[in-house]
Parts: sequence; structure tokens; C-alpha cells
Amino acid sequence: MRTRNLRKNKNFKYLVAIAIILVLLGIPSYIWTKRNVTTLAGRYNSPMSPVILIPGSSASANRFDDLVKTVNRTYGEHHSLLKMTVHTNNKITYSGRIRSNDERPFIVVGFENNKDGYSNIKKQAAWFNIAFNQLKKRYRFNNFNAFGHSNGGLIWTLFFEKYFDDSTITVNQMLTVGTPYNFEEKNTSNRTQMLNDLVKSRDKIPEDLTYYSIAGTKLYTDDGIVPLGSVDAGKYVYEGHIKHYTLITLTGSKAQHSDMIDSNQFITIFHQYIVGNGINNPGRNKPNKKVPKPQQ
Amino acid sequence: MKVQFKNKLEERLVKTTLKIQHLLIYRIIQRTLLLIFPFALFGSFIKIIQTVVIGREGFLTDIFPNLNNDFVYRQIDNITNGLYNMSLGWVSVIAIFGAAKYTAKYYNRDDQIAGLVGISSYLIADYSYSKVQPISFHPGMLGMRGLLFAIVLGMFIGWLFKKFSRPAPKLQSNQVPTSVLERAFISWKPLILSLIIAMIFSTFINVTYYSEAPGNFINSLATEYTSHNDWTQLLKTLLFSLYTIIMSFLGWSGTYSALGVEKMDVLSTVNLNYALEKHTAWNAPNPFTSASLYHGFATYGGTGCVLGLIIAILIVARDKDFQTVARWAMVPSIFNISSGVMTGIPVLFNVIFLIPFILAPLANMLMAALAITLHLMPPSVYPVPIGTPGPLIAFIATNGSWQALGFSVLAIVISTCIYIPFVKMAVKVKILDNLGLEEGEA
Repeated sequence: MRTRNLRKNKNFKYLVAIAIILVLLGIPSYIWTKRNVTTLAGRYNSPMSPVILIPGSSASANRFDDLVKTVNRTYGEHHSLLKMTVHTNNKITYSGRIRSNDERPFIVVGFENNKDGYSNIKKQAAWFNIAFNQLKKRYRFNNFNAFGHSNGGLIWTLFFEKYFDDSTITVNQMLTVGTPYNFEEKNTSNRTQMLNDLVKSRDKIPEDLTYYSIAGTKLYTDDGIVPLGSVDAGKYVYEGHIKHYTLITLTGSKAQHSDMIDSNQFITIFHQYIVGNGINNPGRNKPNKKVPKPQQ
Repeated sequence: MKVQFKNKLEERLVKTTLKIQHLLIYRIIQRTLLLIFPFALFGSFIKIIQTVVIGREGFLTDIFPNLNNDFVYRQIDNITNGLYNMSLGWVSVIAIFGAAKYTAKYYNRDDQIAGLVGISSYLIADYSYSKVQPISFHPGMLGMRGLLFAIVLGMFIGWLFKKFSRPAPKLQSNQVPTSVLERAFISWKPLILSLIIAMIFSTFINVTYYSEAPGNFINSLATEYTSHNDWTQLLKTLLFSLYTIIMSFLGWSGTYSALGVEKMDVLSTVNLNYALEKHTAWNAPNPFTSASLYHGFATYGGTGCVLGLIIAILIVARDKDFQTVARWAMVPSIFNISSGVMTGIPVLFNVIFLIPFILAPLANMLMAALAITLHLMPPSVYPVPIGTPGPLIAFIATNGSWQALGFSVLAIVISTCIYIPFVKMAVKVKILDNLGLEEGEA
């Protein structure tokens, strides 16, 4: 009785249309779900694309507080800041937090043991990996930008070579400031053990990375601490392997190793390449998907 | 035409609604909503193309092979952006024009100027002090989110015109220019006053927008606060859903969005990690997250299960207007874009629909919670592309669980059944209202 009434209803065809549309959309989505869950293994389509920052040696996770403030003020943006400190016992402490609708938050990862030296940097890279996995698990982002100050750049490089798995997550751009790929060595023909190691395993670095390396100079040769030649040695690691490798030389006032991140020139470069605002950087919005290598 | 009531309750509800509808404020709201309806409807179709077809991480882009980021894709993107931003994207501006105009007209003031002052005021209030572009506005407030604010501010401006200007002389076609000029100066005072008040709002909005204080607080509560007790979880999800639904009813927006993904809360992330490890959604540690209850079962057709309303209208409403709106809004609604129905019926601010608007999602969520508790279906844990049709969300988010699909169909039936009596009442209200209008009551 009721169904007959319904059939007489001239809107019956609209109801049928709704059902048909749903079924038509349902079949491909069923196939997609099955494929997505099994192969993409949880690449979450998070809109978030953080900037992850690593400070140099003897600096804490608070190192970039002013940088974030300056960027927010200069460009009228509102990036939130999360700071993590990895302790020597692998425990992580947090301060600050990511605002829930922030698509480009800043995440600083510092270390309790923030000493200089190859052996310490290796440890720090391992600690960073712990922090990175935590972040990945918690926020499920699928791409990010990297920033490293001084030894922070070495930690990034080691991390990419030893720990990073680019099948599930993409690093878009990296920017480093005064990263001493050859420590205090001016002459690139004298390669340190670390540089040799970094060059040797450079194949593991993700190939679609775009990397900007900033070197500061005060008197043509160094930024007061790191020699130009040592920063320039990064080319042996990156050049010819990644998509783009650019070396930028910064001079003038505030070109000193530790002051550089306060300089206006640096802020401009940092914002342009690492933060972006959707206007300078339209490519950021394109779907960023990669089919992972089949799992063994 | 004679209207008969089934029982006392229905009669009382219909009478109360009628009384409210006769209020001046309500009349203005209703006319304003009808004014924005065509824009909202057009915009909702564009929105489908934008988010579902070409959007980043959109439903169809995910499911079908990617449209590449080539020239054609870019052009479609640009065109739809323009069309959307200037239709559904700025309905609040249209709304304030309507609200100010109708209010001023009611008091026999210069309604055209009032409407235009309304637009200026709203744009001033929404002006963003950007350092990147010379002229820019907070886009969120121009769209549906700003609707309540726009209507209130519009009525306030209309009221200012009543308070600070005298009735505008009727413009005759053969009138001399001097009286036209006089007419302009009549509205001088409320014009300045409105713009100054808008400027105060603007400063206030810019300060709070940047700190995003209130929304942020609620959002962080929703995403950061966690509890390991299932029942507190259930309560929390229900509360935030209720908040979202009520806010949407007022044209605002709540914690959970019907379209698009908010960042996953901690509990959902735990669920997803569990599911990826165990390769199943069954027995996920947090069964009552917003994803498994609200997004999976309470957003069919957009906030408030309006797909149920549309189906209910198609089945029972004999009213021509309702039917036309329902037919047109059907397609966007499948993709959870509800602005057409919200403004066309209208559902927004409509007392009679407030009850099912809250009741239907709540009933569906409780049904889903019960089914999950009884292990009849797994909770939704996997991410779902943006703009996935409401009834398919649970299905996709459980990795194609047929039980979940079954309960989704049941949820549609439940929400339709809840809406049916209210649709019947709404039709009666409309008939009585029209009768009243013909008799010259209002």
C-alpha cells in the first residue's frame, strides 16, 4: 500500500536518482578504499605541512622563538610553535602547541645533549628520528619543510641518509644556515671523516628535495665560526643528486654565524622558500601523492 | 483551505511557529534568506566541482585517476574559485544588504541607502589588515559563517536609520534634482554612524581573528582533550556534535565540519595506527570518536542530516516551493553541501526544523554507538577524502565494511522518519501563514 503510494508520487524518480548516484559513487570508492588501505598504508590526507626546525649545537628548542615571532609579525601570519626536547634517555618533553587549524605550524626539535662533535651529531640524528616518528604518528602529515641552523643541517643530512623513509612522507624544501659539512676545515680537499661518510651514503637522500644552503661571510672567508669552504662542501653531498641545490652567500651586517637568523635578508629568504604563503608558491597546493615502493 | 491537526502537540507547535514567524525580526530573516538562496544554490554546485572534482585530496580526485596539474586543470580551478567566491563565498554581504534594506523599508526610511550602507559596513568590519595584498577580507566571514552576524548587523543598521533619519520622501520620476540631493542628506547621520560602528567591529574582529580566541578554545578542547573511558568519549562526541549542530542552525560553524577534514584528534590517530597495524577496524581502542559517530552517521547531506529532510520533502510535502528547493538541492546535498536547503526552505533560524535538525543527528549517533557497542559494526577509523557522500563515509572509513553500509542506510531511514512529521507541520505553517498574509494580518 505504502510502496504503491510512493510509486505514484512523482518524486519517486528523484529518490531513485539519489540511490543510483550513491551506488555509482559507491562502487569505485569501494575499490579505492581497498587499494588505499592496503598499498598506501595510511598516508593520511592531512592538510598540515609543518616546518621542522633543528637548532645548532649548544642551542635549545627555544632557539627559534624570536624567528617565529618575527616571521609572524613581518608577514602578518599566525604560525603556531611546538617545541620538543629529546632527552638522553630517549624521552621527549614538549612545550607550546600546534593550533588545531594551523596548516603550517613550526616544530622545533632540540636535544638535551646539544654538544658539538661528530659522535654527538650522530646521536642527535638518532634522537631526532625518535621525535620525527612521534610527530608523524601524532599528526599524520605527509609532507614538510626542513630548516637547520649550523649543526642542525648536519643532523638533517644524517637523518635523511640513515633513517628517513620517503615512501610515506615527502620533504619539499630544506634550508640550512652556516652548516659546516667539513667542520672547521677551510680547504675542501681536506675532507673530514664526517664529510666522507655523508658523501658515501648520499644515495639515500630523497631525490626530489630542493635545498637552499646559506653561508655567511664577514671577511670573504668565514662567518666568524664556520668557513665558507665548509658550507660549500655540502655540494659534494647534494649536488647532482637532489632536484635543486642552491648556495646563497649572505654578507653585511648580521652575517655572523649566530646572528644570521635575525637578519632581514635571512627572514626574507626563510619566508620565501620555507614558509611560503600560497602566493609565491602556488605549486604547494597540488596534490602531493606518491605510490610507495612495494613492501618486501 | 482548511488545515487539520493530528493532535494537540502538533497544533501548539504550529501555532507557536506561526507566532514567531509573524515577528518583524523573523520576517526580515526569512526575506533575507530567500534573497541569498539563488546565490547559495549556485555556489553549492560550484562547490561540488571545487572540492569534490578538482580539489586537493577531494573525493573524485582520489578515487579516479588524477587530473594533473596542467593548464586545463588550473583554468577550471581559477574559474570555479571566482564563481564560488562571488556566489556562496559572499552571501553574508548579500544578507546584510537584504537585512538592512528590509528593516529600513519597514520603517519607511531610505531602504536603498540603508542596504548599501550595510554592505560597506560589513566589508569594513570584515576588512583584514593584510601586509601582502592591498585590499583583502577575512574570507570565512563573507560566506555562510558570517550570516548571523550579517543579519543582526543589517537589522541594527536599519534600526539606526529609523532612529537618526526621517522618512524618505517618495521619489517621483518628474522630481527636481534638489529634492534628490535632500534625500541623500536625510540619511547622512545613520550612514556615518554605521560606518564608525563597523570600524570598531573591524578592529575588534582583527584582534580576535588573529588570536582566533573562542573557536580555538573549543577546537583545542575537541581535539586535545582525551579520555580513556569510552562513555566520557561518547558524551564528549555527542556534546561537541550538539554544539556544532546548533551553531550551524544559526549560520555559524562549529567544531566539526561537514565538509573537509579537520586535523585528526588524538583518539582517531590512535585508532588509525591500531588499524594499520592490525589490518582491521574491529575493536579499535577508541570506538566513540567524532569520526566514527558524527562524521560517519550524522552529516548526511551536511550538518543536521538534511538529506533526510530532502527525502522527507520529496516523499510527503505537497508544497510546490519545498519540492522545487528539494529537487535542486538534492545533488549538492549528496556531497554534504547543504547551503541550498539551509537558505531555500529555509532551515536556518526556522523554529519548526530546529527539533529534527538536532534530533536526527543525535538519533543516528546513538544508533551508531549502540551498533558499535554490540559489535555489529566496526568504528570508522580510516581517513576519508573530502566531499565523500555522507552515506558512504562510514563505508569507506571502515575499509568497506558491509555492516557499516547497512547501518548507514538505516541512518538515512531514521533521519527521514524523524523529518517527515516536521515537514508536514512546516507545510501547514506555510499554508496558515499565506492565509494570514492574504487577510492582511501581517
